Amino acid sequence: MDTEKSKITLLAFGQLTDITGQSTWEMEDISDIDQLKAILIEKYPALAQAKYLVAVNMEVIRGNATLKPGDAVALLPPFSGG
Amino acid sequence: MSEKKPKKVFIDGPITPEFVAKSIASHSTKKDIGAHSIFLGQVRNDLIGDKAVAAIEYTAYPEMADLKFHEIREAAFAAYPLTCLHIYHSLGTVLAGEISLFVFTSAIHRAEAIKACEFIVERIKHEIPVWGKEILEDGSAVWKVNTV
Repeated sequence: MDTEKSKITLLAFGQLTDITGQSTWEMEDISDIDQLKAILIEKYPALAQAKYLVAVNMEVIRGNATLKPGDAVALLPPFSGG
Repeated sequence: MSEKKPKKVFIDGPITPEFVAKSIASHSTKKDIGAHSIFLGQVRNDLIGDKAVAAIEYTAYPEMADLKFHEIREAAFAAYPLTCLHIYHSLGTVLAGEISLFVFTSAIHRAEAIKACEFIVERIKHEIPVWGKEILEDGSAVWKVNTV
């Protein structure tokens, strides 16, 4: 369709933004969550020690899953609302 | 499908006592209600090292939070015979001593209102993507960690 089609959107929240330095960005040619995590740790080594959940399109995914273009992948540190 | 429409939960800044009072007053027309239960979460001046927490800055993943608040509402109405249910959570800065969470359940009898209120507060703490950054009295900051 267009050149944007291979992109996924990353969202980081809370203390993870201290590590990533940004709260939303795009990444290209990512096929699954395991691959994404490996690339992120390479770029942001402190992520290896960080505790977080991954949500794809607002649904928490435990373990690996295939990512498709247009997915919104959120990195969620432990919640601390209330 | 639910007959309960999605409601606005997030409030910019603290939840004021006046807001809570108005919420209570607005239920006086619903005369089948016999019991209200209210939970108010207040920002505590915890000591982090030797510095006290002066405020919490709340941020959220708003779209996911709205979805989760809706799920929690649905679960509460399914589990308890509630007449009414309101949830409000602060975003942005809330000073120590101010209110950041307001859960308000109403039912015909007290047991349901009380149990539902606790059920909702616990689920909010565990499931809502909100993060609090504790601003200390010297201006430094640490990320809040909730007790389990």
